[in-house]
Amino acid sequence: MVGQIFLTELLKLRRTKITWVSLIAIAIMPMVGGLFTWIAKDPARAADLGLMGQKAQFIGVTADWPSFFLLILQTMGVAGMILVSVIAVYVFGREYTEQTAKNLLALPVGRHWFVIAKLGVVALWFAVLVGFLIAWSLVVGWLVGMPGFSLDLAVTASADLFLAASVGWLLVPAVAWVSAVGRGYMAPLVFTFFMLLVGNVLGATGWGKWFPWSIVPLYSGVAGPRVETLAPGSIGVLVAAFVAGTLGIIWQLRHADNVQ
Amino acid sequence: MVPNNPDDPIIETRGLAKHFGDVRAVDGIDLTIGRGEIYGFLGRNGAGKTTTIRMLLGLIRPTAGQVAILGTPIQPGQQSIFARVGFLVETATAYPNLTVTENLDIQRRLTSAPGGAVAEIITQLGLGQYQDRRAGTLSLGNKQRLSLARAMIHKPDLLILDEPANGLDPAGIVEIRLLLRHLADDNGVTVFVSSHILPEVANLVDRIGIVHAGKLVEEMPIADLHAKSRSFLEIVVSDPDRAAALLGDRLGMETIERHPNGALRLFDGLDRTPEIAKVLVDAGLDLSRLATDEEDLEAYFLKLTEGAY
Repeated sequence: MVGQIFLTELLKLRRTKITWVSLIAIAIMPMVGGLFTWIAKDPARAADLGLMGQKAQFIGVTADWPSFFLLILQTMGVAGMILVSVIAVYVFGREYTEQTAKNLLALPVGRHWFVIAKLGVVALWFAVLVGFLIAWSLVVGWLVGMPGFSLDLAVTASADLFLAASVGWLLVPAVAWVSAVGRGYMAPLVFTFFMLLVGNVLGATGWGKWFPWSIVPLYSGVAGPRVETLAPGSIGVLVAAFVAGTLGIIWQLRHADNVQ
Repeated sequence: MVPNNPDDPIIETRGLAKHFGDVRAVDGIDLTIGRGEIYGFLGRNGAGKTTTIRMLLGLIRPTAGQVAILGTPIQPGQQSIFARVGFLVETATAYPNLTVTENLDIQRRLTSAPGGAVAEIITQLGLGQYQDRRAGTLSLGNKQRLSLARAMIHKPDLLILDEPANGLDPAGIVEIRLLLRHLADDNGVTVFVSSHILPEVANLVDRIGIVHAGKLVEEMPIADLHAKSRSFLEIVVSDPDRAAALLGDRLGMETIERHPNGALRLFDGLDRTPEIAKVLVDAGLDLSRLATDEEDLEAYFLKLTEGAY
């Protein structure tokens, strides 16, 4: 039965535009990185391009594979977090926006299974996107003709991206819970952007490793010097956020009034 | 024909109540509905019908009282009983990006219905020509059919349908009425159907319960309701106020009601038509209608729910 529930959650994605939008969004990330490094390869060309060249130099881009992968990781720290949250908002929030939640809650299926299946679908969807991001980054980097490629570097960068994505996914239950409480898209989107804003601000302080929405920006190096290894405390905070969010949404579906 | 058995309650509520702050949406409702029975749950908008249905389905928690469906108390975490329940709550909804078939296939999987159930219910609900259409492009009536198909796909023992005729054309209403009647009579399915229009369900249900301001104000077999309809004499006349005064003064008629359409309705002295006509004509009033009629179900319903004119 669990497999059937997971399958139905996947089937619901047929012909949804957001699957394609998310693919385009993730494809843009290495293209922007590639553009910056392409500009950085030729300072004269960068100068000719005015602001774009200054920005490329400002963020310290150098035209090699390590720099390019770091840029992708940093983008994951912000844009990737937004993207996984938007996916979660869609997967959970659509049931309220499309008024189908009531159809799910009086079925011979434990309501918690829907939560677990939806979390699984978000994980699978995001994993596919990250896989595509890695593959597309390799293509873009190759097209730009960057030096310094090695297989070890690519494997390490891929692992970093998957780890950052996994950490971002651990925050999905909290977003899903806000979707269930807010019954739609708006509340969780506002929540996501607010938490990311706070996360980036706190990331610049010493408190960042204790705040879930700071940890991916810190790990990706977008909110200050990159923290390459997550502290046990940070992992604990993330797991606690995941468990609290998951229990929160399950409680919401089981015990709160579900009125649409 | 499956006998209706009130001793085998399929739906049972005791003191069921739901309060939203100071608002008593449902205020102590007791229901006992037997197997194979079609029960009409009637009330005006905001009377508490949908809130009651949501509590029957465990979508909201009662403030007080109990609900048992098919002998099983409805409590958080108790979902298995819904394998035997089909439902439609308020508006017809479906995943708009999925076709009719795909929407029903999802429901089939979640209710463990057999593989052929989708094709069967599509035929039964007359959705054949729309089966490959996306739900988001369907008319309101066909969305309603899709929701009814979703409710019935797993052949439940109990159907809880909130305003099932919404959006259906007259032919569709008759078609669904016949289908529900067949399910109740031949398969023993219990049907709990809510509506705010009594005549719409009067030809379908075995028994009605009328809810008003959260309370069950009347409950009776539909045959008794028909018997309760009063006969009256309808008079359409040029000056209704003067006519009413004349009939009171000269013929001693007291129970005269004024209908919103301007006609007078007399509930006694129905055998005095010639006298009434003479009094009015002699007084120089233009009499354009004088006929006996029977109070319709709608009028009775409105009276019970304080909407009488």
